[in-house]
Amino acid sequence: MTNTNVTLNDAAVGAPPVRRRGKFAGMLQRSETLRGFFLLSPTLVVMTIGIVIPFAILITMSLWTAIGFGFDTTLTTANYETALEQPVYGALMHRSLVISGWATVATVLLSYPMAYYVAFHVHKNKMMWIVLMTLPFWTSYLLRVFAWKVVLGYEGVINSGLLWAGLIDAPLEFLLYSQQAVVITLAHSWVAFAILPIYVSLEKIDRSLLEAATDLGDGPVARFFRITLPLSMPGVIAASFLIFIPTTGDYITPALLGGPDGMMIGNLIQLQFGPVNNWPMGASLAIGLMLYISAIGLVFLALTKVFKERMA
Amino acid sequence: MDVLDQIGAVREGKMSRRAFTRSLAAAGVGMATVPFSGRKAMAAPEDQATYFTWGGYDIPELFGEYQAKNGELPNFSIFGGSEEALTKMRGGFVVDVSHPCNQAVPRWTATGLFQSADMSRLSHAGDIIPELTQLEGNADGDNLWMVPFDWGQTSITYRTDLVEIEGEESWDILWDEKYAGRLGSLGAGADAWWVGAIKAGVDFDNIDTPEAFEKIAAVMREQRPHIRVYTDDTTTLEQALASGEMVAAMTWNSSATLLRAEGHPVRFAQPKEGALTWVCGLMIHKDAPNLDRAYDVIDSMLSVDTGKFMINDYGYGHSNAKSFDEFDEETLVGLGLSKNPADILEAGHFQKPQTQEFESKMNALFEQIKAGF
Amino acid sequence: MSTESYIRRPNRPLQVYAIIFLIALYIPILFLPLFSFNDSIYVSFPLTGFTLQWYEELFQREPVWAALMNSVKVGAATAVLATTLGIFAAKAITKYRLPGQNAIVAFIMLPLVVPGIIFGVALLVLMSSLGVTLSLYTVAVGHVIICLPFAIATLIPRFEGLDPSLEEASADLGENAWHTFWRVTLPVVWPGILASLLLTFTVSFDEFIMAFFLTGTEPTLPMYIWGQLRFPQQFPSVLALSSMIIAVSFVIVFLGQWINRDAHISTVRK
Repeated sequence: MTNTNVTLNDAAVGAPPVRRRGKFAGMLQRSETLRGFFLLSPTLVVMTIGIVIPFAILITMSLWTAIGFGFDTTLTTANYETALEQPVYGALMHRSLVISGWATVATVLLSYPMAYYVAFHVHKNKMMWIVLMTLPFWTSYLLRVFAWKVVLGYEGVINSGLLWAGLIDAPLEFLLYSQQAVVITLAHSWVAFAILPIYVSLEKIDRSLLEAATDLGDGPVARFFRITLPLSMPGVIAASFLIFIPTTGDYITPALLGGPDGMMIGNLIQLQFGPVNNWPMGASLAIGLMLYISAIGLVFLALTKVFKERMA
Repeated sequence: MDVLDQIGAVREGKMSRRAFTRSLAAAGVGMATVPFSGRKAMAAPEDQATYFTWGGYDIPELFGEYQAKNGELPNFSIFGGSEEALTKMRGGFVVDVSHPCNQAVPRWTATGLFQSADMSRLSHAGDIIPELTQLEGNADGDNLWMVPFDWGQTSITYRTDLVEIEGEESWDILWDEKYAGRLGSLGAGADAWWVGAIKAGVDFDNIDTPEAFEKIAAVMREQRPHIRVYTDDTTTLEQALASGEMVAAMTWNSSATLLRAEGHPVRFAQPKEGALTWVCGLMIHKDAPNLDRAYDVIDSMLSVDTGKFMINDYGYGHSNAKSFDEFDEETLVGLGLSKNPADILEAGHFQKPQTQEFESKMNALFEQIKAGF
Repeated sequence: MSTESYIRRPNRPLQVYAIIFLIALYIPILFLPLFSFNDSIYVSFPLTGFTLQWYEELFQREPVWAALMNSVKVGAATAVLATTLGIFAAKAITKYRLPGQNAIVAFIMLPLVVPGIIFGVALLVLMSSLGVTLSLYTVAVGHVIICLPFAIATLIPRFEGLDPSLEEASADLGENAWHTFWRVTLPVVWPGILASLLLTFTVSFDEFIMAFFLTGTEPTLPMYIWGQLRFPQQFPSVLALSSMIIAVSFVIVFLGQWINRDAHISTVRK
């Protein structure tokens, strides 16, 4: 998509008359690349300070070892070896990805029809719907997690409802402090991050394509699968990434709702920087997590590419 | 918020898109340049001391004297656990006063981030119960690294209507298969591991030996399947006890006091093996920007009014001997307290400071056990 | 016009789904106000009685208000800064073919791959080695970094949807780049900008982990609440506070709707 835009631009470059104002402005006018980097520069400066330096610290630290309050700054891969040797790290890493995966799938599947509804069937007050859907996220994340505790809790809404209906004799204890509880809460918490990108990509779809498909005799279902869904895939993919990746590192939701069996790798990383006081180990685990997520992300991207090519 | 109003105005055509964008940009510039000072109409907050403490200690009731003298409350910064606090201060966070417990004092002083308190600058110094000042690693000549403030126990709060006690109260309640899935525990090794040591019969003097680690780990692994949740958040435990979701949990004094005040049938056990006991207090940062007011914070917290509140509303012991005069012996016993803290602290198992290596090793192992490994 | 009706026809099942979705979205949150009126410091059923006590207490608790204001300031500053940076970046990424473009995009998106806690600690170490005192500014810096990817991810689809011929036409008419952006690009990408502002404000307002490491003496709202979770006596007043945030938001949404009641949509596209 970007490529077509660029080609069009390249063709047009020669067309506008170049007016000379200062040397720099002239250069900016002439060079696409320079103009691009000029626009990018503020962001790049901020991100360099925010990413490169912290990352350098992080990677260096992962090769140190902790002694008491200090660090032994001899470089060693000991932390990575420990992480691979002890089963707890791999198991929690895996569990985190499974929990985040389920939460992502649930959020995207549930949010898509909602975004679709607002994009195609709401004609008045669209912004109102967008605001309505994002409004709950003006409240504190912690309080929302806490609210789920009230819903799923021992004397919570679900349990008291079922008891009242006579469906159960004693409260269901598995609702809270379980992996399901974490998945449900994450899915609810991240709805806004699914709806907004999907909505944006649905809004972008040229309505005349749909009309054309209808004219060619496609029913609503065929129209959806041939046009709407493929064209909204960028939004779906963006949503999946926006949810999957941060949730793997979450530690508040599992800490408050997961119970002992719902603990995730984020909890373990946080503990290394807190009570366990082994920052180098925490840094190694974090890098391990990033590599793991990147690998999965790349596989996911490759799959979507194959999918796209087959569509085309 | 007015962004939304402006959207409305744009849509109605009352405001051109350009005017809207301009006002938005102005708001952005305004936000970016307005100094981030939270409170108006008060003595500049930077003039007040900053007290870095547990949630719940940031209330006016503890700072009557400070407020009377300085006109405002100190600034508060809240941590969830004292290790969290130390991590943050080691990262360069500077405060005036912080709030560790006896077991952490030598490790905190070893970081070189603190200065000892000159007791002659505290008007209530003479009223401090002497036993509380004589803690391992706390003396620095006549000065104290940590000025004692509150003390208490880690024990079991249980529902008297849901737990059957045969004979004496015991830590066994928290290991009882009968109550599997209905027991709770504090999540920090600083409490739970030491309780494990009591249960395993490990003497605190030998807690840092391989055999002790093995024994305690075995006990903790045995307990783990019975525990519904490990948490540092006492509210969670209190609510679970209130609803009957849990029948018993490892807690501090305040949980039982609060639940009883709410009318719930709970007891703060005095286990036959002994409870875990501790003293917490106040330490001054070496670079405290408002040193005089740091002393004001500490002095205010040592006052009798503060002490009465601590005993009555939180159920903790206070370090000022005079604070106890208002209470009769029966009330104090009911709270698990005494005018003679030594009675309580020595009847239980008093925490002993350990090395940083011990803390790291213990926490790493305990976290693995909690995760099921 | 007749073709329009295929698409514009109301879809009943979808409408029902949308309503159920909204209910499910709101129900857990509405328990907060419910319990803020409950006459017990414990959040559990059955309700014990009606009280306004927690609200009275809240009004006396200055730190709550200070924390709320801190969060609003940090959130607004973060949203404006991240979105502004994001507009330039998204424009550059979608319009120009830059050497190493994919690497640059991956680089900017990196905070999404890194658990916030790592950035929190690393930035804390950075700040302290630079001798920067922790304050709301440091929180905002941390938030801008984690919000930028959100801003850019929201803006890029918008800029991709921008018809380049419009900008060319503007350039052909002799408008300079700035005017072209102002008159042509901005109106088209405007919904994306708005979404980005909302999204980044939300992220910042909610953000806990970075704030945890980067807050100085003035807590943001999530930091304040985290401290209060441990002490149930104060918890109901925190519930009261969040109920008020919800209520105020509702009122604003309602007002917006009321102002717009006669407004007819003139679609941005086409």
